[in-house]
Amino acid sequence: MMKHESIETNAGLLIVLTLFVISIGGLVEIVPLFYINDTVEEVKTAEGHDAVRPYTPLEQAGRDIYIREGCYLCHSQMIRPFRDEALRYGHYSLAAESKYGHPFQWGSKRTGPDLARVGDKYSNDWHVQHLKAPRSVVPESIMPNYPWLLENDLKYSGIAENLKALKMTGVPYSLSQEEYDANVARFGAEVADTLDINNAEANLMAQAAKGNFDGNPNRLTEMDALVAYLQVLGTMVDFNQYDESYFVNFR
Amino acid sequence: MAEAWHWITQLGNSKIVALLLFFGTFVGILWYVFTNKQRSERLETYKYMPFQDDEDGDTENKAVTDDERN
Amino acid sequence: MAHTSVGSPEQYNYAIVKKFAIMALVWGVLGMSVGTYIASELAFPFLNFDIPYITFGRLRPVHTTLVIFGFGGSALFATSYYIVQRTCQTRLWSDFLANFTFYGWQVGVAGGAISYMLGYSQGREYAEFEWPLDLAIAVVWVSYFLVYVQTLRRRSQPHIYVANWFFMAFILATALLHIFNNLAVPVGLFTLKSYSLFSGAQDAMTQWWYGHNAVGFFLTAAFLGMMYYFVPKQAGRPVYSYRLSIIHFWALIFLYMWVGTHHLHWTAIPDWTSTLAATFSILLLMPSWGGMINGIMTLSGAWDKLRTDPIMLFLTTSLAFYGMSTFEGPMMALKSVNALSHYTDWTVGHVHSGALGWVAMVSFGSFYHMIPRLYDTKIYSVKLVYVHFWLATIGIVLYITSMWVSGIGQGLLLRAFDDYGNLAYTFVESVSFMHIPLVVRALGGAFFVSGILTMAFNITMTITAAKREQAAIEAKIAAKMANA
Repeated sequence: MMKHESIETNAGLLIVLTLFVISIGGLVEIVPLFYINDTVEEVKTAEGHDAVRPYTPLEQAGRDIYIREGCYLCHSQMIRPFRDEALRYGHYSLAAESKYGHPFQWGSKRTGPDLARVGDKYSNDWHVQHLKAPRSVVPESIMPNYPWLLENDLKYSGIAENLKALKMTGVPYSLSQEEYDANVARFGAEVADTLDINNAEANLMAQAAKGNFDGNPNRLTEMDALVAYLQVLGTMVDFNQYDESYFVNFR
Repeated sequence: MAEAWHWITQLGNSKIVALLLFFGTFVGILWYVFTNKQRSERLETYKYMPFQDDEDGDTENKAVTDDERN
Repeated sequence: MAHTSVGSPEQYNYAIVKKFAIMALVWGVLGMSVGTYIASELAFPFLNFDIPYITFGRLRPVHTTLVIFGFGGSALFATSYYIVQRTCQTRLWSDFLANFTFYGWQVGVAGGAISYMLGYSQGREYAEFEWPLDLAIAVVWVSYFLVYVQTLRRRSQPHIYVANWFFMAFILATALLHIFNNLAVPVGLFTLKSYSLFSGAQDAMTQWWYGHNAVGFFLTAAFLGMMYYFVPKQAGRPVYSYRLSIIHFWALIFLYMWVGTHHLHWTAIPDWTSTLAATFSILLLMPSWGGMINGIMTLSGAWDKLRTDPIMLFLTTSLAFYGMSTFEGPMMALKSVNALSHYTDWTVGHVHSGALGWVAMVSFGSFYHMIPRLYDTKIYSVKLVYVHFWLATIGIVLYITSMWVSGIGQGLLLRAFDDYGNLAYTFVESVSFMHIPLVVRALGGAFFVSGILTMAFNITMTITAAKREQAAIEAKIAAKMANA
């Protein structure tokens, strides 16, 4: 029979048992999430395509800036199912809405308000002014100024490489014709075009030119990318299409 | 016996099985540690280990009073 | 063996302990100063000065990395290397690998801090190190594990003292957490950028499994190892119950791993994981308090030491704060309380009552005991130890109470409705409400920093005096030899 004494006196055994004991909790809680399909909701557009799509090259570049500046340390992107949050921010967040977020940016602290549905709430001009000098639009704000976003040109030469890395993690950006066709079936042709890594740079510049997010059509700045990202947050799912009880099944 | 085995292998019962296993282990450790007087005494001797290095317990105490005098 | 001098290089490797202890203080001063600075940025935003490198978002990971991994990590390396040698009565295995862990760790911490300021971050709290640093840290950690196990294996007696169990669990769990949480796909071999392998809900679960167990094993289990050695040593009496410490160990390491999901209450993860985490959080109260009682009762029959020994004051107060924050934690893990406390400063206050009250205080106490022994001398000024104690305690009290006011206040304002069922306050009204608590919090931080500065001065003077004594003795011996 194995005695506790043999654990106390045998470093190897102590290590093995400790490893076993500390593994149980993590395994029980995390592993099922990778197998249970119910964790992530299925949400479709009116045309029957996937509502939640991967970020376009410009939006992804903006997301990288969001992470670089540490925005997630003061802003959450996860609305909880409470009445006050519904009134203040909108419908509670779905797991599906962040399924292409590598890494997740749910946040843990609201020094500033939640941003999960900030998209389309304010104009591009407001965002630019607010990011440049927050207190010029919200006098009580304690957010730092980010004037350099307007001054720095967006470095986008590596965007295809970034998307390729994301593709390796499982985000459906396309390289081959076959993958492109699959995306057309899944997201519709318009979206599938933006997910084609072969045209990543061209797509990025086209979106920036069309959106003119930073208010200066002559330059492609970091502000263009960040505002493009902020403007898409929480806008992909049309909640009018769903009965509320549908989402409860996934909780 | 076969029935009991069937019950255990049902995934839906895993919570109860796990609870029984872990609680059993916990009671086992408690039982091991606190029953048997001889073993208890042996275990408690280990608490003097920090005092077995080159300074013994008494000089430790003295060290404290030395500090006070500073 | 009993007659060899304490500092003799043949018996123990004290050089490595000294190096880590000094760096712990250096990182402590830096990390806590950065913390006070970013706290001031929140109170007075002009302090961001429109300089990218020092904005709140970039400095915050610098603060957490310097205090957790720089200060806490170096303090754990120092004390674990000290304790494993003294309780096994054998010299640390492999001077080379031990030195490698020292330089590797310091480079990792410094590299992390610099890279965040330059804008390189994995974007996940407490795991912001980019992939090359993650790899380097993993190598350092494996070396640490090897040094530790090999030293244990060369011990002079069969039983392994319980403090070493806690350190062992800390080393193993940290390795597990670090590796699985940092799985990422680098963009290229020559860039620092990477994307985490998991996304959304799965990424959140992995991250908070890591995040909470960084608290559970890095900031709790390991510091309990410290407690199980230094409290008995300083009190001059053995731990209250060795059997309780065995129960404490197994229950704590088992339960901690289940509770990470309480950081994700009410978010887009399945409810059952959240409920399970809340249940285990409540259960965790038992081993936590078991351990605290075991530590405090070690003093039973010698309570007068609290009046005469400032080091004991540090150690006992740290246990009291440990008890307080391990009560507050399970309470905040209840879904109803969490609905209010989550996303607010209450969480920040809770973390600091653990980090300042428990982690930092127990480290300070242990260092005041250990450093004079490393240099075979006495502390330069006991009075300054008292000064440090009071500065630290006042700092913590200001910090925690202001965060309670700010956190609970903001939580209540944001969920308030007027008579017509509309929101009573806008978000920014809650921000202006928080101004005064944020100022008080920064002040609390400043108190705590002046405390550790006092300590740094006291320790510097102690070491200089010890070196002078040593030099004097050596000169005397040399003179004698010359005469002979």
